[in-house]
Amino acid sequence: MLKIEAKKTLPGFNLDVRLTADSGILAILGPSGSGKTMTLQSVAGLMKPDEGYVEVNGRVLFDSENKINLPVQKRKVGFVFQHYALFPHLNVWDNIAYGLKDRPKEEIKAKIKQLLKTMNIDGLEGRYPRQLSAGQQQRVAIARALAPDPDVLLLDEPFSALDPLLKERLELELLDLQKVFGGSILFVTHDLNEGYKLGSMVAVYHSGAIIQHDKKENVFAHPANRNVAKMTGMRNLIEGVIAGINGENVTVTIPSWATSLRVVSQRAGDYYLNQEIILGIRPEYIHIKEKQGENVLPAQTIHKMEGIASINYRFHINSDASEKRYMEAVISKSGVNPLPKDSDCYLYLHPELLVIMAE
Amino acid sequence: MTDYLEPLLVSLKTVAVTTVLTFFLGIAAARWMARYSGKFKSLIDGLFILPMVLPPTVVGYGLLLVFGVNGPIGKVLLALGEKIVFSWEATVIAATVMAFPIMYMTAKGAFEQVEPNIEAAARTLGAGEWRVFWTVTLPMAKAGVIAATVLAFARSLGEFGATLMLAGNIAGKTQTIPIAIYFAIQAGDMDKAMVLCIIVLAISFVSLAAIAYWKGMAAKMKPVKVS
Repeated sequence: MLKIEAKKTLPGFNLDVRLTADSGILAILGPSGSGKTMTLQSVAGLMKPDEGYVEVNGRVLFDSENKINLPVQKRKVGFVFQHYALFPHLNVWDNIAYGLKDRPKEEIKAKIKQLLKTMNIDGLEGRYPRQLSAGQQQRVAIARALAPDPDVLLLDEPFSALDPLLKERLELELLDLQKVFGGSILFVTHDLNEGYKLGSMVAVYHSGAIIQHDKKENVFAHPANRNVAKMTGMRNLIEGVIAGINGENVTVTIPSWATSLRVVSQRAGDYYLNQEIILGIRPEYIHIKEKQGENVLPAQTIHKMEGIASINYRFHINSDASEKRYMEAVISKSGVNPLPKDSDCYLYLHPELLVIMAE
Repeated sequence: MTDYLEPLLVSLKTVAVTTVLTFFLGIAAARWMARYSGKFKSLIDGLFILPMVLPPTVVGYGLLLVFGVNGPIGKVLLALGEKIVFSWEATVIAATVMAFPIMYMTAKGAFEQVEPNIEAAARTLGAGEWRVFWTVTLPMAKAGVIAATVLAFARSLGEFGATLMLAGNIAGKTQTIPIAIYFAIQAGDMDKAMVLCIIVLAISFVSLAAIAYWKGMAAKMKPVKVS
């Protein structure tokens, strides 16, 4: 169990965050410079917040009110740095042994052997960091951080420097590691997919603050506001007004498209008539239809970028309203025939895939 | 024979003590300043480098003011029965002050190259500042620190102006090789000057060769990168 509260004022930047984490993986998601790394640093004691509180498994590491500030050395926090920060002048064995200094020799030996095995780096103990591949370096960095049996493991963008295939394998290994480790794992990323795949909880950062902190399913399905929506890949956002609520069915009018849409929302009761809201839908959830119907909008393709398995489109919504409005869609190639550029079509926005946000 | 041996012994003794002193003082100052970011950073940095940019005679004059019998430190030492000016210790003080900036600057550059995250990693693994320095910072900055020590050694071996002003020219006591060369030439004794020059050349050559050999050994001991 991990509790973090940290406030820090720097020139041009304010950090003000509050987080909790149980055992399992908490993904800290957000753009660069949003305070993700600073949060990890305040847990590890590498940065001192102006005000705050850090507690791990009931042990208080930092408490500005009661003037408690355990030094880094005593915090029992495992830290895996962004570029691993291995000791270049020590071989793998000595890197892992670094945090085990005061233990009996036999115990050190047994511990390192066990870690080499857990992390699949058996046989590399004599190599130096520069003789290792990026993936091996990461495994060594994790083994080194785990060696002194930390209470919490912090990983700062651990996968940012890896090629996609290797990344996927190491992601799976991190999921396995979670079962062995047992404590809280905090990991920082700016990659949505990574955050979703690995985290059981997600905290979304935006310029020094947490704008949503919840189970990952909730964060991605019910973003709290338009910033979370943007950050979690819900790229189509449009202003609307609630025109009717009937059970879970909500009718939303979209003034700039001069149309209305039906939305199925489990949280329909949270909204009221004439409330101004934001409506969002992921580009992957948009379907292309042949003809008009409910929740179908006439549109025109204006940009098209073909990927390996899907095509990214940018559509212009044809409506009587004077405002120009665009939508983005990612359509799998396995379904419909690809649309050429500048062709007319119909976009279907499934009522259950549209999301209402209050702001 | 004593004409050559005396300056040689004085020089060797002075250079040995100076190099050790400069090594520790320079490293301590460099380590401190490499991670210091207070508002006096430029000022302190400037003070540390000052002896390098000033003419040696100006530094010598300054040292006379401080260590002379009326100077603040000179007075205290005199009360304790020690007179610094024209003593052998004066050659060490002058050479240390002159060699310090180059040791400090070069070592500081080497420490600044050490990635802060690697030191931070050592701390998260339980290492205190002392252990971080000896097991991470210093080994990683090793090449730069060796270079700094060589430069400091060379600078103190060649020290002339400040030494002459503070320590004078007392044969067998404060007369180092560079000073002996100068006075030999003054006296028209070109042969003596030449022999002393050859001795300096030999010392420089042997030290450079020793360092090259040492570096070569270090490189051989490092394992080769496998592809």
